[in-house]
Amino acid sequence: MKTTSDFPSINERSPDGVKHGGGAYRVLIVDDSMFVTKQISQILSSEGFEVIGTAADGVEGVEKYKELYPNIDLVTMDITMPKMDGVTALEHIVEFDNDAKVVMVSALGKQDLVKKALLAGAKNYIVKPLDRKKVLERVVSVLG
Amino acid sequence: MRVEYINPFVESAYSIMKEVLNAEVKRGDLYLKKSSQPVMGVAAIVGLAGDVEGRVLFDMDEKTAIDIASAMNGEVLTEIDDLAKATITELANMITAQAVTKLHDLGFRFDLTPQAIITGQNMRVTDMNVEALIVPFELPQGKVEINVAIRERA
Repeated sequence: MKTTSDFPSINERSPDGVKHGGGAYRVLIVDDSMFVTKQISQILSSEGFEVIGTAADGVEGVEKYKELYPNIDLVTMDITMPKMDGVTALEHIVEFDNDAKVVMVSALGKQDLVKKALLAGAKNYIVKPLDRKKVLERVVSVLG
Repeated sequence: MRVEYINPFVESAYSIMKEVLNAEVKRGDLYLKKSSQPVMGVAAIVGLAGDVEGRVLFDMDEKTAIDIASAMNGEVLTEIDDLAKATITELANMITAQAVTKLHDLGFRFDLTPQAIITGQNMRVTDMNVEALIVPFELPQGKVEINVAIRERA
């Protein structure tokens, strides 16, 4: 029985993580919290994004970005991290790739650092606690 | 200890826990302890240093910590593993960050130390020369106590 031809499509919307020409947007998650990395990863994967790398500090984040470049579309970047903070890592990434799309992820109370990051080239920011809607909205606005 | 230090923690704890656990949160009566107090089993701790100094403990028993971490991860965790620790730490981080923003708005200037999580049975905490204010919260997962011992720098 050919079920597919009998059922109307009730959801024409394509997932946010899939590019117009097909293929998934590729994301690097930089965060020192295993919990936050998992949370962002689950939200993005469920919308068709491909998480191609994770890093637990700024130094590793910059290294991974250079390694993955140019096959990378987006970075989510925590601010407070050991070894190198997120704003410094952002500066290194933007210096390497002026078109890098980096979204900062921050707890409340880091407004000054968020401002600094936006001036340094971050495309947007997300304030924790994270939820699905908030993450997708900000990420899509950067890629759109 | 002035109550204005603890109110931001109470408000933030209430709103953050309500949001991330998507559940009813009830605040109990706050009380003051001058001597040493027992720690329930899993305690996230963050230090403050600046105009005000001291520490904040987020204290709960092991089962409550596992159930909270499970709810926040949307999956059943069975022990205090690295993910559970990272989850409880992140909860403490979000509450502290929001509280600190409110304290900064009130004009207090200080920095935070990186969080640590302490686990084990039969532990007590004793604060030297500063009393602790404790606010219990009742959640569907169990009891969480926010234990704040802060003073103004002399």
